[in-house]
Amino acid sequence: MRGFWPVYKRELFAMFVTPLAWVIIVVFLVIQGLHFSLLLGHFARQPDVVADHGPVQAFFGGTIFLYLPLLILCPGLTMRAFAEERRSGTIETLMTAPVSTTGLVLAKWLAAVTTYVAMWAPTVLYMAVIRKTGDLDWNVVGTGYLGVFGVGCSYLALGTLMSAMTRSQLMALVLGMLVTVGLFVIGIGEMVLDDGWARDFCSYVSVWSQMDDFSKGIVDLRRIAFDTTMTALPLFATVRIVDAWRWG
Amino acid sequence: MAMLLGIPRKCLESKLLRRLALPVAWASVAVVIEVSHLTKAYGAFYAVNDVSFQVGKGEVVGFLGPNGAGKSTTLRILAGFLGMTSGKVVIAGHDIAEDSFEARRQLGYMPEAVPLYGEMRVIEYLKFRAELKGVPRRERRARVEQAMAEARVDDLAETLIHKLSKGYKQRVGLADALVARPPILILDEPTAGLDPNQIREVRELIRGLGERHTILLSTHILPEVEATCGRAVVIARGKVVGEGTLEELRSRRRSSRARLLLRPAEGAEIGTLRTWIEKNFSVRSVNVSEQEGLWGCEVQWEKKVEDPGAALEELVRGLVGAGYGVREATPAKATLDEVFAQLTDDTAKLEDGVEGGAG
Repeated sequence: MRGFWPVYKRELFAMFVTPLAWVIIVVFLVIQGLHFSLLLGHFARQPDVVADHGPVQAFFGGTIFLYLPLLILCPGLTMRAFAEERRSGTIETLMTAPVSTTGLVLAKWLAAVTTYVAMWAPTVLYMAVIRKTGDLDWNVVGTGYLGVFGVGCSYLALGTLMSAMTRSQLMALVLGMLVTVGLFVIGIGEMVLDDGWARDFCSYVSVWSQMDDFSKGIVDLRRIAFDTTMTALPLFATVRIVDAWRWG
Repeated sequence: MAMLLGIPRKCLESKLLRRLALPVAWASVAVVIEVSHLTKAYGAFYAVNDVSFQVGKGEVVGFLGPNGAGKSTTLRILAGFLGMTSGKVVIAGHDIAEDSFEARRQLGYMPEAVPLYGEMRVIEYLKFRAELKGVPRRERRARVEQAMAEARVDDLAETLIHKLSKGYKQRVGLADALVARPPILILDEPTAGLDPNQIREVRELIRGLGERHTILLSTHILPEVEATCGRAVVIARGKVVGEGTLEELRSRRRSSRARLLLRPAEGAEIGTLRTWIEKNFSVRSVNVSEQEGLWGCEVQWEKKVEDPGAALEELVRGLVGAGYGVREATPAKATLDEVFAQLTDDTAKLEDGVEGGAG
């Protein structure tokens, strides 16, 4: 873990000083703002709302508007991580300093996660808006956020891995989107396939059903195990790839 | 290595080994960089091939070689950026394969292209680097300021790095190498791409740093070595082809020359003098020309002449005996350029010969 803290700070610095983080946050909030106001309009026209199918559930994964931005913006947050260091050559000064590869990879990933959390933070206001019009179970809101946090961690870990696989940020973005969209498409299999092991597999991978659970306040350990795996494996692979550069 | 390269190269090896067996003035000094049998292979291509050398504490050593000789690869391995295929590198007592962290802590490394984060200010960058290199928080500010002063970028502390000129970027790179006060500096082509004034400044800086640090710097420009280094390791095609102090390297010229200024003997002609010298002394070539009533005479000794000084003495005695007046006699020292060309060229010829013989 040596070198984690300075690299983490510099990574956040770079993310917010080059306007990348701001651009991504603004795009995300504009989309979520529209998403939320559409939902409010929809529910306002409904005579009554079922308890586990209200605006909070719809917001946390009831519509495609949650997933589409995440599929694209998460790889955007991580595309710089290693690709930019390698393109500009700064990876050489970075790796000749007394830092550990694990520290380096974790710092870059956690900086992206931090930005991701900052990106979601203003949406707490939406919950405050719902709170004004009726009852709001903050525990359910909490599990909703836990769900998007898990999804974010895994997407960002995958993005970090893709960034370590190429020198081009654009390529890292495209590869990252391929992986996240690929996972999403596998998840759709749950809705189209007949019963069987294939459907079970798709359901396990599906980000839709994960968010469906979390948005209703159900914390399923299998989901958490899946997210943890999808975070740890790519990060481990990234550490190995970065180590392997020394032998290239 | 002979096994890897095939038997015919043994002759090459023995020659190289003889060259390495130079009198070593640094034997008594503590060795801080020890490279033994370092090899880096990319498939069948050997970027660095069985390179061994040592750098003693406090030395400023030039790592000299033509482009593509393996200088940067070697330095990158030393700095811990690249792994080696085989061999051993010990930095200040730490094996870089086993104790990479401690080895890296002893080093300040400046890569050839001086990569920097353009979006940071100079002072921000150096603070980041100081923290990364483990400089304690309370010392960080002072160290950064000192490094900026030493590299003379203190008036640019608040400038964004991407706005700096090449020369200033080079200095920021140098300040980065200095910021953790490492005992050893490894500088890869520190003056590449600078204008003559900047080159002079950077060399002065390096000379100043040489008083407190051990420095290994690579270059393909000879005057650089003469201006800054006490010793040089010459590398060509991934192999060490020569090593020693500048004097030792100069003295390793294979053919040497001498210039004489003569007052002609009575009735002598230029042509007869030339043939007389060629007949009576072991010279390869003689060149006599008239210079304002005197004769300038340039001789090149034969290869077998072992002591050019004695040969010159003999020639002067002979000329005086024949009635010439010797006004000047200057043994011409081979320039480092000649030695360099000879050393690097030799390897090429040898390898060509070996390959021809093997085929």
